[in-house]
Formats: sequence, structure tokens, C-alpha cells
Amino acid sequence: MIRIENLCKSVDTSEGLLTILKSVSLDIDTGEAVAIIGASGSGKSTLLGLMAGLDTATTGDVVLDGQSLNAMDEEQRAILRGKLVGFVFQSFQLLPSLTALENVMLPIELKGDAQANEKAKRLLARVGLDERGHHYPNQLSGGEQQRVAIARAFATEARILFADEPTGNLDTATGAKIVELLFDLNREFSTTLVLVTHDERLAQKCDRIVRLVAGEVVSDEKTSARNEKDEEVASD
Amino acid sequence: MTEVVTAESGGNKTFSTLFGLALRLLWRDWRGGEIRLLFIALVMAVTSVTGIALFTDRLEKALLLESANMLAADRVLGSGRQPPEEILAEAESLGLRTAQTLSFTSMAFSESGNMLVSAKAVSEAYPLRGEVIIADQPFIRGFPIQSGPPAGEVWLESRALPALGIDIGDSVFVGEAELTVSKIIIAEPDRQQGGMMDSAGPRLMLNMLDVAQTNVVQLGSRVSYRYLFAGEELETLDSFSEWIGEEYDGEFRMRDVRDESEEISDALNKAESFLLLGSLFAVLLAGVAIALTAKRYSERHYDYVAILKTFGCTSNEIGVIYLAIQSVLVSISIVVGCILGWLVHHVILRLLQAVITVDLPAAGFEPFVIGSLTAVICLLSFALPPLLALRATPPLRVLRKDLGQQKFGANVPYGFGILGTIFLVYWYSQDLVLTTVLVTAVAAIALFLSGLSYLLLRSSGSVGMKAGSAWKLAMTAARRRRKQNVLQVMVFSVTIMSLLVLTLLRTDLIDDWQGQLPENTPNHFMMNITESQIDGIESFFAENGVDSNAFYPLISARVISVNGEMPDPETELNSDEERSSITEGAQPEEGESSRYDQARSELDAATGNSEAAEEEEPGEGQIRGRLGRRQVTWANDLPPDNLITDGSWWGEAVDAGYVSIEDDYAGWLDIEIGDRVEFEINQQTIFAEVSSFRSVRWDNMQPNFFIIFSPGTINHLGATFLSTALMERDQKILLNDLVRLFPTMVVIEIDALIEQVQNIIAQVTSAIELISVLVLVCGALVLLACVNATLDERFHENAILRTLGAGKRLILSSLLIEFASIGALAGIIATIGAEASLYYLQEEVFEQEFNMHYWVWIAGPLIGMVLIAGLGMNSTRQVVSTSPLSVLRRVI
Repeated sequence: MIRIENLCKSVDTSEGLLTILKSVSLDIDTGEAVAIIGASGSGKSTLLGLMAGLDTATTGDVVLDGQSLNAMDEEQRAILRGKLVGFVFQSFQLLPSLTALENVMLPIELKGDAQANEKAKRLLARVGLDERGHHYPNQLSGGEQQRVAIARAFATEARILFADEPTGNLDTATGAKIVELLFDLNREFSTTLVLVTHDERLAQKCDRIVRLVAGEVVSDEKTSARNEKDEEVASD
Repeated sequence: MTEVVTAESGGNKTFSTLFGLALRLLWRDWRGGEIRLLFIALVMAVTSVTGIALFTDRLEKALLLESANMLAADRVLGSGRQPPEEILAEAESLGLRTAQTLSFTSMAFSESGNMLVSAKAVSEAYPLRGEVIIADQPFIRGFPIQSGPPAGEVWLESRALPALGIDIGDSVFVGEAELTVSKIIIAEPDRQQGGMMDSAGPRLMLNMLDVAQTNVVQLGSRVSYRYLFAGEELETLDSFSEWIGEEYDGEFRMRDVRDESEEISDALNKAESFLLLGSLFAVLLAGVAIALTAKRYSERHYDYVAILKTFGCTSNEIGVIYLAIQSVLVSISIVVGCILGWLVHHVILRLLQAVITVDLPAAGFEPFVIGSLTAVICLLSFALPPLLALRATPPLRVLRKDLGQQKFGANVPYGFGILGTIFLVYWYSQDLVLTTVLVTAVAAIALFLSGLSYLLLRSSGSVGMKAGSAWKLAMTAARRRRKQNVLQVMVFSVTIMSLLVLTLLRTDLIDDWQGQLPENTPNHFMMNITESQIDGIESFFAENGVDSNAFYPLISARVISVNGEMPDPETELNSDEERSSITEGAQPEEGESSRYDQARSELDAATGNSEAAEEEEPGEGQIRGRLGRRQVTWANDLPPDNLITDGSWWGEAVDAGYVSIEDDYAGWLDIEIGDRVEFEINQQTIFAEVSSFRSVRWDNMQPNFFIIFSPGTINHLGATFLSTALMERDQKILLNDLVRLFPTMVVIEIDALIEQVQNIIAQVTSAIELISVLVLVCGALVLLACVNATLDERFHENAILRTLGAGKRLILSSLLIEFASIGALAGIIATIGAEASLYYLQEEVFEQEFNMHYWVWIAGPLIGMVLIAGLGMNSTRQVVSTSPLSVLRRVI
């Protein structure tokens, strides 16, 4: 589903050229949940941005669903994002002048779907916020805002979901509930999930953990959860 | 598998999807308050421009109509001899309507009395514009009619009947013709237009066909012929006027109301300039408000766009969405603005109902087009650039908040704004010079202001927020936001400056007009009074409760030489002043250059009786002709409305042999203080030394003189006297007794003219007041938009300060000090700018004397301080009333 080939990213700074990612290569299968884990500044979010087509690499390529992002301009990448990709952000990124319901409706409306209202209501109900649809983001708690963001991410019927530190702004208990919801929905919609986090326990819920240190992949291992899953499949 | 995205693949959304989304976003933004200020700024731009354009359009049409009524025609050709009949034929061939009048003074006789009357013969078609008011009995309210008397009949003014001892139906003799008095004439549209011939006694109107029978008009008689023309097409009238100019080589000239009444034309021109200036300020301020609100709107939409892009919106689709939002917004603004503009102009007209005496012509479409185009141009130049810059917002902003701002180049929108403003100013004024002057002036002021405010706010390089005291906190905050603050101070300064300029200009204009013709302005001139009659006239007025005024001796003089040499001015003296002066105009026997005596001079030229034809050297004769004769006087005291500009006025114990000269006239003749000037007065030579120059208020419709001698210099040369009196309408009957008691005296009635001028001044004054209010509203809007422009940052910063433990009082005091300082600084700069602009405007555009407004130097900074502090505190008071967390949550 996602293939990353020798991806490098450098930026100019006042102190010279800074290399954030050094020749990263990865393959992520359809339906797989992959955690990218690393310390602050290791290049996780940069990698996520490049994989989602939000930014362009200095060298190397990202191939999403068989299509090379390198060969596309921003307009074409935007179209591809609209068809393939959904996002969940650490800072939620809800639009403050829209209600919770309207935030979820927005990507559905963008597709020109006349059923935006009904679909968004169903998704809000699915994340347990059917009573809060008319509330504005600043009237919701952090956990509630992230639920709205998750509902919005699945509203696009995306096949790949990118999550950038989805529990980073939440307390442990709320974070745990959000993670549960995220994985439930991921299974329900058979989405490929790429999750950036520095939370080891959260990463263990995925199929694979890719560790980044100073912009380089130092390990790429299946998790115990994946092993259990594989064993279940084998025993079946 | 998704379909393959290729280079040819466009966005996958249809226009209707994007347009529908744009509408929903617009509605949600409106509900959330995001776009309201931008909408209000747009509506204000359309409202003020449409309102002002509608009002000026209709007022202009109305005033032209009213003015036409004053002439009884659209154009008039006046002459002391009969103009060729082919002029009338040419006018008729062009589809113009024509009429003729003939004015002359004559004695009217009845069986029991006689009196001097101002006779006017009119042709069948008279009047072409306006109405004659007549009555069946004297001294009653009349009814309108659109014709003059039929042949064989005359109409007389009420007070002539008792003077002649007759009633309606009786006969009067005018020359050799016996005519029947059939009606009383109460008013006629062009009462004052015949000059002396129309002011020397009560009106007697007769039919043109009866003139020959009277036998009073013969070669050499002092008469005033007038050909009247009216037409529906302005172009036809203009080309006809040009034809006359070319065909008769300047011998005959067409006149309209602006030529006929200097006072009215002056008031109208100034009012038009003010309205133009007011609407320019309104557009400029609304434009700035649009620029500021649009910039803030677009800044707040960076996140919006980044999110839309992560959802798959392409830059082009973002462009379509925001273009659609702006198009819908501007369309609604145009509709609302046009409706409000129409209402505003109606309110103005309703307020002016009492003074607008004519039926207003319907408004055209043009004002609505102007208002709508203003909104579109404002949006294109001020709002669209920052909004289109949104297209360039990188989607990565969803991960990195610092991306996306200022991408387009912070100054590009201002560049567009400036271009748009220049275009609008030119479009309104249609005047390249005014546009260049205004744009250069504003640019110079803006540069000066930004330089000055940058210097004043320059940091000494201190570090940190100095959060210990409110004062230090405010000052460091002001310095940290130096760039925004310089811009804010500039916008505040220009706004306050515009408001100060308009307010001061309005006050000065109105004061000037009210000073020109105060309530108790004398409205009757008595001339040709002998010295022995003065006591009798004074006691007549005293007995009848009429306030009499000073008696000025009047004598005709000519400048012969200055220090022994004949002056040789190269140009003609500016005739506006002469035409404005009643005294200079009121020369029954002498003058050759005034409006009142144009008829006489033309007659003289025709009969070989002109000054230029005197038996002198041709060159000398021409110069003498140009120097002309002046009505001069002598006086102990400086006349009212005169100011000494050089030298000194003579005191009580004055010697003979001095003269005071009007300063422009002295400059024209190249006379200096102390020069010895030779005059010819009644064939005698008089020498006098110039002791002072004076400025004279020519437009006050009072006796004014170019030359005043010290008492004893020319007293022996035999003068007649002139005086003025204020007589109300019900006192006019006294004129009969007055002229009977003092038969040699000539009374000039200018009450109708003064009333007309006062009416028009009242009318334009009210208009100016209302335009000022409109501009004030625009100014307030700009100030509000400008305060709001930095609101987010202030909210964020103060929320952090509160989180860190700063008290409400500290934050509020610091905000108050910061806003008050910025306001005071803007006030000081605005005051400097306002005085500089006023100097130019008053001296060059409004032809007023510029005086410093000292109180503004205190009021300006104070207004700035209170206004900005008030608006700023009002907008940011939520900083301390909402929880820091919710502020931070909203901003993050």
C-alpha cells in the first residue's frame, strides 16, 4: 500500500544544511497498522508528512497505492490525498468556527456527497458524541475534540489513516479510550494505519514498530500483538 | 485500487460542489462572526458612495433646475443693444425654446401720481423656466402662471398701486402707451437679472408687443435686452453657446446661473468640492477597513486552507472556493449597500425638504453603478490579494503551525490597495491634477508618519517582557510589536487626520458662509443721496423702526499715475471681485466693467461713447480703458469686514492727503506703501499718499471699496451718498413713502437675491453636515478594524501572562497604557497632517484664509488617546473575562 524508497529530507538553516531523514526505506501492506516511534526530533513527523504527501522529499520517493508522489505536483498530490488519505493530529486541527458536526461534514461535503449531514451524524454517534454535534471545538474537552477529529478522519472513507501523536495532548485515561476507539474503527473500516508516537504502549498495539533515531531506521519489528494475530490465523 | 492520478487529472469536485461548500463556509463564518467586519466594511463603502453619489446627482440636477428658474431659462444672452434676430432663428433650428425680455427704467403715470418703475417687457414664451407669481389684489398671496401679461395689459408690484393711487383695472401710462393694470405681480424667476434696470423701483411688466407704442426705447436709451434659451439636451445648449462665441467673436456671450451669481456659484463650487472630498475620504477609509479586515480574515483562514488541502482540495479549488465566497459577499454587500445608500440619501433629502424648493428629478442608475463598482474595486485591490495568497498555504501547516504566513509577501496587498485607491480617486474626481496632488500628499504623509512613529517606538534593545509593572509591560509590548504598531499608528493617524480635516473644513466653511451673509444683512441699497437728505432719511428710518447704517460718500475716480508714471498692468483685473461688489456694480452713471452696467457699456461702445474712444493716443487710451473708473469714498473708520494687511489706518486726528487701497488692486497696479498716486476726479487732479493696504470681503454683499481716502482729501469734489438698510417683507411698503419723500434717491432691492443665497447656503450646509457624519462612521469602522487586526496576538500573549500569574489589574492597565500611548501618538501625527492638509486645501481648493486651529493641537492627541484606548479596551476586555485556557485553546 505504501512503499518508501531511500527517502531523504534536508532543510537549510542558519547553521547550514540540516538532514532530518537519512535514506529511509519501508514497505507497508494494505490493512497493516505501523507505529513509527522515536524520540523528539528523530524525524517521525517529517516522515509522516512525506508519506502523506503533505511535503516533498529532497531525494527518494514515496509510492502510495502504486502512484509515485515524486511524479506529482501539489495539485495532483492533493487529489490523491482526497481519495486515499485521512488524518488525526496531536492538536486536533478542528476548525474553530465550525461546530463538531460541521467539522465532520466538511470532508464529506468536499466530495459533493448530499448525505453529508446523515453520515457525519452517524460517525459522531459512533465516537459517542451524538449529543455534542452543535458544540464548537472550544466548548469540548481535549478527548472530545480528538473524537471529533477521528470521526472526521473516517468520514473521508480513507484507505490510509495517518495519526500524528493522537494522544499527545490527552491524559492517560482519555488517551487510552481514544486509542481503543481509533483501533476499533481501523479494524471496522479495514484502514491502513500509520501512527507516529513516542508512547511504547500505544506502539505495541500496532502490527509493526519502526524505530527512528536521528532520521535513520534502526529497527523494524513485528509486535507481540501481530505475532498473536499471525498465530490465530495459522491455527485457523 | 484508486484511479491513477495523472498530470491531466484536474480536481475531482464540480463547480456546484465547490460553490455549495463556499456558501456553507460563508454562512458558518458569518455565524461565527469571522466575516462580519469585512461585510460591514464593504457595505459601508457601497452605502457611503451610493448615498453620496445619489444625493449629489439629484442635488446637482435640482440645483441646475432651481438655478434655471432663477434665470427663467437655461442660458441667457444679455446685451445693451438688440442682438441679431438670426441668433433666435439658429436656436430654434436646433430645437431650443426661446423668449425675449427688455428691461428699462421709466416713469409710470396715473391720474393721481407718478413713480419710477423697473419696466420689463416680455415675449409670449416667457418664462422658459420657473413661474411668475401673480395675484388679483395687492398684498395677498399669489398663484403661479407660466406667461407674462397679454398685449395692452400691465402687471404691477403691490406697492406701486398706492403710490400711483390706482386699483386693479385702472390705466397707467408708460411713455405714450396707455395700458390696463390687470394683475399684481408678486414674484418672477429672474427678478434680479437685469441689474440696475430691475432694481430701481417696483416692477411693471408689459407685453413685448406694446414696447413700440410706448416710444420710450430709442437709440441711446439705457435698456437691457435679454434672449432666453431653454433645451432638454445640455450638449445642444453647450454647442449653441460655442456657436455664438465663434460667430460673433466674443461680442455676445451666453451666461448660465454660475456666471450670473458669484455668491451662489461660489457656494455651489465649494460644496461640490467638499462633497467630493468627503466621498473620497469615505471610500479611502472604507478601503482601508476592507484591507485590514480582509488581511485578518485571510490570516485566520490559513488553518482552514491547510485542512482543506489535507482533505484533497487543490490550490485551484481553494481559489474557486474563496473567489465564490468573496463574490457572494460582495454581491450581498452591493445589494444591502445600495438599499442603505438609497435610504441615506432619502434621509438627507427629507432633512433638506424645507430648503429644496424644486421637485427633484428622479435618480439615475449611475450612482448605483458607481457604488457597486466601488465595492468590486475595493475588493479586487484590497481584499482579493491576501485571500488569493491563501491558495499558497502549504498543507504541511497542519503539522507545522509556523508555515504558511506571509508567504505571499506582506507588502503586496498594500501595493494592490494603493493602486486601487489611486484608480478610485481618479475615477471620482476625473481630475488628474487633484489625483496627483492627493496621492502625493497622502504618500508623503504616510512616509513621514511611518518614519516618525518608527523612530518614536524604536526599542533600545531591551530583553524580556518587563512584566513587573504595567507601564513597562505596555512599553515593551508596544516595542515588540513595532512593525504592527507602526502600521497601526499610520492607519490611526490617517483616519483621525481625515476626520479632523473634514470636521475643521466643514466648521470653517460654514462659519465663513454664515459670516458672509449673517441674519441681519442689509437687503436694500439707497444711492444717489445728497448730503442734505441724510438727516431726513435717518429720521424716516428711525420713525418706522428700520435700522439704518452708515452713509458712504460715493464718487467716481480714475488712477492717472503712480509716482509720476502711468501704471501699465499687463492683465485685466480679476473681474470676480468687481462683480461681487455691490458698490462697484452700483454705478448708475459711471462704471464700465460691472455686471450691472454691462448693458450700459455695450450701448456706449455702439454709440461711440466709450472711454476707449476718447481723443487720446491709442496706446494710452487702451491702458486707461483697462484701468477704468472706480467708485471711491472717504471714511474716518475702517469699514467692517476690512482688514489692514500693510501700513496703518489713519487715526482720529487725521490729515487730508492719504489713501488706503485694496491689496490685490494695489498689487495689480504695482503700488507700494508711501507711493504718491494721482487721481482724476470730476475733471480735477488729486494727489494722495498710500498709507495702507486692506483686504476686503467682496462676497458679503455690502458696500466695498477699492480706494478709500482720508477725510478732507476729496470732500470738496461733490459726492453723492450711499447707505444700506434691512427691510423685512412687510416693511417694503415704506419704500413708496421713501422715494416720494426723496425723489432723487435710487433704491436697489437685493432682498430676493440675499434670500436665495441664504437658502442655498443653508441647503449645502446641511448636506455637508450629513456627509461629515457618514465619513465619521467610516472612520470609526477603520479604527475598529485596525484594533481588531492585532487582537489575536494580544489575546494569546495576555492569556499566557495570566497563566503565569499576572493579575487582571496589571494586564488591563498595561493594555490601557499601550492603547492610550499609540492613540496619543497617532493623535499628534494626525494633528500635524491635518493642519498641513488644511493649509493646502483652504488656500488652493476652497480659497479660504488658513488659520491655525490651536485647540486641535490639544484636542487631536486627546481624541486619539481616548478613542483608541476606548476601542482597544472594549475589544480586548474579554482577555481578562474569559479563562486563559479557553483563549489558548482558541488561538492554538
